[in-house]
Amino acid sequence: MSRRILLCLLSLVALSPVVGLSQATKPQSAPVRRSQGEGRAVTFTESIAPIVYANCVTCHRPGEVAPFSLISYEDVAKRGALIAKVTESRYMPPWHAEPGDAAFVGERRLTDAQIAAFATWVKQGMPRGDEAKMPKLPAFPPDGWRLGQPDLVLDMPVGFDVPASGPDVFRNFVLPTKLTEDKWVRGIEFRPSARKVVHHAIFSQVPGGSRAALDGADGRPGFGGLSAVGILGNGQDSSSGLGGWAVGAQPMFFPSAMVTRLPKGSDFLLQLHFHPSGKVETERSQIGIYFADKPPQSTVFSVELPALFGFGAGIDIPPGEKRFTLTDSFTLPGDVRIFMANAHAHYLATQMNAVATLPDGSTRRMLFIRDWDFNWQDGYVYKAPVSLPKGTRLDVTLIYDNSAENPRNPISPPRRAVFGEQSFDEMGAVGFMFELVHKDDEPSFRNALGARTKSAIADAGKNGTLGRFMARAARERNGLQQLTLFDRQGAIVARVGEPGRYTQAAFSPDGTRLAVIKMDADSNAQDVWTFDVATGKGLAITSDDSPDSAPIWSPDGKQIAYVSVRANTPGIYRRASNGTGGEEQLYQHDRSGLLVLTDWSADGKFLCFWIGDSMFLLPVDGDRKLIALGKDPFFGRGGRLSPDGHLLAFNSNRSGVFQVYVNGIDAALGRPVAPASPTENVQISNAASVGGIFWRRDGKELFYLSLPPNQSVMAVDLGDGPTFKAGTPSVLFKLQNQVGAPAQLSSVSSPDGQRFIFAVNLPPAKPAPK
Amino acid sequence: MRVRRFLRISILPLCFSAALGAGSQAGDVRLSDLGGRELRPFSTGTRASIVFFIATDCPVSNAYAPEIQRVCREYGPRGVGCTLMYEDVDTSSPRQTLDVQVRTHLGEFKYESIPAAIDRDRAAATRAKASITPTAVVVDRSGDIRYRGRVDNLYAALGKTRQQVTSHDLRDALDAVLAGQRVPHPETEAIGCYIADPALLRSHHHE
Repeated sequence: MSRRILLCLLSLVALSPVVGLSQATKPQSAPVRRSQGEGRAVTFTESIAPIVYANCVTCHRPGEVAPFSLISYEDVAKRGALIAKVTESRYMPPWHAEPGDAAFVGERRLTDAQIAAFATWVKQGMPRGDEAKMPKLPAFPPDGWRLGQPDLVLDMPVGFDVPASGPDVFRNFVLPTKLTEDKWVRGIEFRPSARKVVHHAIFSQVPGGSRAALDGADGRPGFGGLSAVGILGNGQDSSSGLGGWAVGAQPMFFPSAMVTRLPKGSDFLLQLHFHPSGKVETERSQIGIYFADKPPQSTVFSVELPALFGFGAGIDIPPGEKRFTLTDSFTLPGDVRIFMANAHAHYLATQMNAVATLPDGSTRRMLFIRDWDFNWQDGYVYKAPVSLPKGTRLDVTLIYDNSAENPRNPISPPRRAVFGEQSFDEMGAVGFMFELVHKDDEPSFRNALGARTKSAIADAGKNGTLGRFMARAARERNGLQQLTLFDRQGAIVARVGEPGRYTQAAFSPDGTRLAVIKMDADSNAQDVWTFDVATGKGLAITSDDSPDSAPIWSPDGKQIAYVSVRANTPGIYRRASNGTGGEEQLYQHDRSGLLVLTDWSADGKFLCFWIGDSMFLLPVDGDRKLIALGKDPFFGRGGRLSPDGHLLAFNSNRSGVFQVYVNGIDAALGRPVAPASPTENVQISNAASVGGIFWRRDGKELFYLSLPPNQSVMAVDLGDGPTFKAGTPSVLFKLQNQVGAPAQLSSVSSPDGQRFIFAVNLPPAKPAPK
Repeated sequence: MRVRRFLRISILPLCFSAALGAGSQAGDVRLSDLGGRELRPFSTGTRASIVFFIATDCPVSNAYAPEIQRVCREYGPRGVGCTLMYEDVDTSSPRQTLDVQVRTHLGEFKYESIPAAIDRDRAAATRAKASITPTAVVVDRSGDIRYRGRVDNLYAALGKTRQQVTSHDLRDALDAVLAGQRVPHPETEAIGCYIADPALLRSHHHE
């Protein structure tokens, strides 16, 4: 499962908010004349209008996003004091990067002299000046597509109502591309309809239908969430970012290296950020997509500092902390050309600084945001790519303020903030997109970047972020669910117990009861329960403060083993399955990490679990000394012992994707394979699997779950012969979208292979009629 | 003449306007609403009155429309009257054009249930010493200004909104006035758009 989270995060990286792909208003340096000093009159026609026309009117004109126009003398004079104030504070024009060593495309920044000119003009009573000197209003492109007729136009099928007031709204909309072949995207033009409320947009592509279960689930178009693209998706798909748009940005074509694939059949995912304006507005955006003839000539790399948006950085900010600081460095293993910097964090971040130190000791300021504002998570494209030689160190510093004095603090009074995707969580990174000067450096960059990701995940395991993140993801992924029994054809045969939040359901060895993890959204409890299949009667086996997971039945059905994370470290415990008696600890891991219990051997002697990339057997009695199951050079997990105890089925990504394999137990233990049991690394599955492996009690059939989308229960006939022989996997039945969080860890099938248990998402409550 | 009537503000209090602050008398401002009925925003005969100085094209002012309506709806039954005072109108426009503009705005932002007037020459704002839209001014039954300032602290600065309002200054002031208590913070800094000086605009317009 950690692999899954890893992939989720990797996809998140790919989907980093690359908002700056749209070019902002090009600032012409307006002629600021010496006459703007205190000594001489500053007039509108001569001094102010040129600044306004060069920097403001792209948005401040009729029909555009700004709330009022700044075209005529009256327009500007009426706002004179306001303009002087907001230019002085640099709220306007909106541009959040301080001047650095490399200029950015579309920098909307007034000079100090221009700002002073406004102040002086207002102080002098806003004289109009000589009408003859009035500059001409810039020519604006006609209405319609600015980049020309798009190759593909996508419309939101229905409008989305943005409420009149309340907090900002983040909403994701799924627009099917209906492409019948892969395309390369060289530009995207975004046309919002409710321009006063749409603040920014982030584009990405996801596999067709992969967000269908989320889309409209709450009765309104689309679905909510800040970074639903990366984390709610299953992550093992081919999602990727396609740039974005922010208020004031003008459409432009991508830099040539950033031409991006749009796979056939994919869905375009549009995330919009709305500011309520005081009245209800209906947004129905239109997207114009421009295709390139061919794929990019060079590969684009990206590095985030810290990696994975700080997933491993130990983001845990106590309330009241005013300067929580994250730092990270990356030394370039080869020469690069950086063409873009991205900044991302949530509301608590206040400052971001990225500096490059070259091998000769000289420094370049790459990006400095003095007053971070979540509303302006622009990407910053360098006017000319910044060339940095091998050995250059990139240093990034992020500062967060979780005190009540930070007006942007989303929680009052402040509360502890940890890594997460919600607006009250934090994350953060400065990312750089670059291409390599020498193609030969590709392997060293891949290794270095891969190592960063891997160590970030290892760090997240150690500092508790991974465990917290997974527990919460499991709680939040779905609403209420119903434990539901299916037959081999996928028909529903029974519903068990009350609706609730369930995961990891497992049949008892006699098939009459279920063990399951039941979650309580309010108390954050995560406990082991059993349910009687026939009566639906539930029984709490644990009820403690620590999160429990992975319940496994003993072969006689009298006990249940489970994992419990206490003081950030996982341990394995057991209790009687009738709810009586105390708890016995069987194993204590020596550090934090994700530990998943997957089986209890038929003879009752061993538990099987995995942690990191290794599987182990734990003797239930005696010295309980761990037995390593041949450390897999890749990830080995989900181990399940055959009923006769001679074989181990497990999931491994040694082929690049997770597949099901079977090993003789001797081979698994790293011992020479006995002639009687020659099985070694037999690949069972023929397509990617998430695990959920189950041996039928008679050992003649094996089940597993394939990867979403189109996730199915797969069956493999093992035959009757004396030696192990696996048939071709076949689909028993396809899991519908409403099946949430498949129990990929344990016994989804009844012992006879006739019944399968899944938690099915209940349809959302119908929205109140308008 | 109806057009002029809303400018008929008693001269005497104006003379003392420089000394006005929270706690001072608002005086009896009389003007007419859009339907021509007389409005006396600072002496509504209720236990307390709120005058909201707003503008049609100020985004901060507009963003407060729902909260202003909530306050008036919730405090109305407790004896609080509300008036909307439109500032920053284009003084060069004919009266009728202005009326249409304001009526459209009232409709768009669902303000119809609150009495509204156009402060064409900024006289009411001057009387209440309001220089920003939106500003809320609370007057008690005896005509004393008890509160002047922001509706709440949603905005920390222009372009810097809180994720959560932590100080409901207007509601706190109303609660205090209704309870016969001292208002804890009678003056707060309103954040929004400056109310332009119509005289300045007009003089330049006719240059």
